[in-house]
Amino acid sequence: MAHSFADADHLPNRRPGDPADPAGLPRQRRGTTPQMHGRYPDFNVMDDRDHWDPVTRAVLEQRVAPPPPCRFFTENEQRTLAALFDVMLAQDAEPRVPVLEMVDAKLYAGQLDGYRYETMPADDRTMQLVAQHLEGLADLDPDGRHARVKAFADGELHWEGLDASLAWKVATRLAVSAFYSHPWAFNEIGFRGPAYPRGYMRRNMGPGGTEPDEPKEAFGLDPVQDIGG
Amino acid sequence: MPRGHPFRDPVPSWNRSALLLDVHRRGIPHLERMARYDDDDEVDMVIVGAGAGGSTLAQRLARRGWRIVILESGPFWDPDRDWVSDEAGSHKLYWTAPRVIGGSDPVELGKNNSGHGVGGSMVHYAGYAPRFHPSDFETRTRDGVGADWPIGYAELRPHYERIERELPVAGQNWPWGDPHSYPQAPHPLSGAAEVAREGARKAGIAMRVGPVAITNGVFGNRPHCIYRGFCLQGCKVNAKASPLVTHLPDAIAHGVEVRADSHVARVEIDERGRCTGVTYFHDGTERFQRATIVVVAGYSIESPRLLLNSTSARFPNGLANHNDQVGRYVMVQGAPQVAARFPQLAHQYKAPPPEVCSEQFYETDPSRGFARGFSIQTVGPLPIAWAEHVLADGHWGHALREYMRDYNHWSTLGLLCELLPQPENRVTLADEHDSHGLPVAHFSYSQCDNDRANIAYGKQVLERIWEAAGAQDILTIDRYAHLVGGCRMGAFPDSSVVDADHRAWEVPNLFVCDGSVMPTQGSANPALTIMALASRLADRLADKRVGASPAARARSSGEGALA
Repeated sequence: MAHSFADADHLPNRRPGDPADPAGLPRQRRGTTPQMHGRYPDFNVMDDRDHWDPVTRAVLEQRVAPPPPCRFFTENEQRTLAALFDVMLAQDAEPRVPVLEMVDAKLYAGQLDGYRYETMPADDRTMQLVAQHLEGLADLDPDGRHARVKAFADGELHWEGLDASLAWKVATRLAVSAFYSHPWAFNEIGFRGPAYPRGYMRRNMGPGGTEPDEPKEAFGLDPVQDIGG
Repeated sequence: MPRGHPFRDPVPSWNRSALLLDVHRRGIPHLERMARYDDDDEVDMVIVGAGAGGSTLAQRLARRGWRIVILESGPFWDPDRDWVSDEAGSHKLYWTAPRVIGGSDPVELGKNNSGHGVGGSMVHYAGYAPRFHPSDFETRTRDGVGADWPIGYAELRPHYERIERELPVAGQNWPWGDPHSYPQAPHPLSGAAEVAREGARKAGIAMRVGPVAITNGVFGNRPHCIYRGFCLQGCKVNAKASPLVTHLPDAIAHGVEVRADSHVARVEIDERGRCTGVTYFHDGTERFQRATIVVVAGYSIESPRLLLNSTSARFPNGLANHNDQVGRYVMVQGAPQVAARFPQLAHQYKAPPPEVCSEQFYETDPSRGFARGFSIQTVGPLPIAWAEHVLADGHWGHALREYMRDYNHWSTLGLLCELLPQPENRVTLADEHDSHGLPVAHFSYSQCDNDRANIAYGKQVLERIWEAAGAQDILTIDRYAHLVGGCRMGAFPDSSVVDADHRAWEVPNLFVCDGSVMPTQGSANPALTIMALASRLADRLADKRVGASPAARARSSGEGALA
């Protein structure tokens, strides 16, 4: 059943129970999205790369290239944090945005975000401690992993020497900053990315106005009707 | 152009920066010809920080013949070479060195409010350029809260008018505060802003387009905005105003040296208690720049930190800090954002984030139950900022991904709530040290009851707007925006750091010229007012209207005005 998404019944605040299973979304036909589902199956942001200024193009081309292996986290930490990021970002199948490797590269380079809470260590140390406290996460079954991450998100974990609620903020900030910087995520959400120097058609005038090259939403299945049951 | 011609040259005669830029390249041309001063050369003024305050002050005084060096901790940007149309790739625009935050309502720093590099935080601000209201300068007298400034709106008004032409500012005629108009017409609106404006209209709330410091028409060699939405990542077009395009080209043409990658460690004083210059790190070596006047313009965290780090036998608790005022009364605005979902596509990324505003709730209304107020502005989060918004509403995993896929259906409004100045909201020195071995800043912040009531009321107004617009769902994030205060100006030395001429009460040739001097913050984005204050200070210094300081008078040294 086609679903236009003009209605909002697919949104988590507007439906009871768990979020809709994304398996009902269209498969990506062009380019890549994380897990190959999205709303814009014929949109690939990298197709526009020749229109971007060379500095921006180089940054995004490097970002879609396979990242170097981890150099900051130990193998144990990598196993645990990979499981954490997968649940946090609902990356349950390939292709995955390599969030662990991206976070590792940032911390290995010593990049910080300009502040830390007075009760917390710096971000790099925080993530090492999170990995230690969540050790064993990777060995749980999917339901067990989800339950443990949910307890982390809900502030129900209490760790010696680390404020788990603030640690959740640090971990999620690092995770979404990596995931939603990736062109595959742009494809999934229909974000057209860099637009310099070419720009857009002089904006979409008024609600609903679209320009000819705008990514088109497309839907195979109604996630409410077809997935929930 | 012949005299009396009815056409007014859009680029003002007192600041030709827009004509000194190259229409085909973005960086400031001919930097190889920039003046260079020796460390031993006692320049008329050394300014710490190449942001809104320092750059404007330098541009003005250079035209009056002053020999000036600006020391900037960060790099000298060439937008063509250094900036990218990408959120994660813009990390280097922010002050990312260690800082510690605390208090009951800690304020996150970094990309939210702290710039690094030539141009300062205006490189990554959205571009809103509203004036303060006349009431902002006397909230103690009018509303019984905050503080009165030692100067009034009337003293800044001519400087607002000048700076608005220099940026230039585009917007509708402005009905709030001191009503005024803008040099450029309002920009066209995106779909996301249209739906917000329509919702406000239905809710009985007036909104206006602008005011934004983004070119909308002919302005020297600065191109027209192309509406690509990356204002917060540094404008690669040169359409959005920052000192890098609005003041430094003219300053450099008039002999200012901007020495980048130069992190100032201490302001030095002599045995008489006068500044002699500043010690700074450049290329890993410690150097000393001599100067007749020292101006600290590092903004609300770094300016207090520099003074607190500048200890001596005479000032054991930090320079100009005998009364324990340095670092106090730091303010941020409560800046929650409420996003709304619509059946149609809104594409909130396809426009500059700053589009329409309301200042209808700016002033105190006793019926609301709290003092002062807030303004309402559109914002346009890019994907990472949108993900932070969704996360803040409590969604992760599949729910996060679902809301993220829904991105193009959303429009977002933000508040700027005037939170009140409090002495314990302050910058002190932490136990931690930076890469230069200098103690880093600790910023403690806690809201008062008036602050909480203001933010809660403002969020209800945003929800009313979205309800009237027909929103299907709403997501909310609590956050802060901007920084001011920390070295506030005042009428009395026991409750302020600098006087009405930005001069430190305790050091006759030390000035502070940035947002840290503000005693209150209003509900306005601070950039325009920081520039207007710098413009006023420059006039007073150049006209020798800055008199002897109390400290100088106390010494009866016979020195009159400044050198």
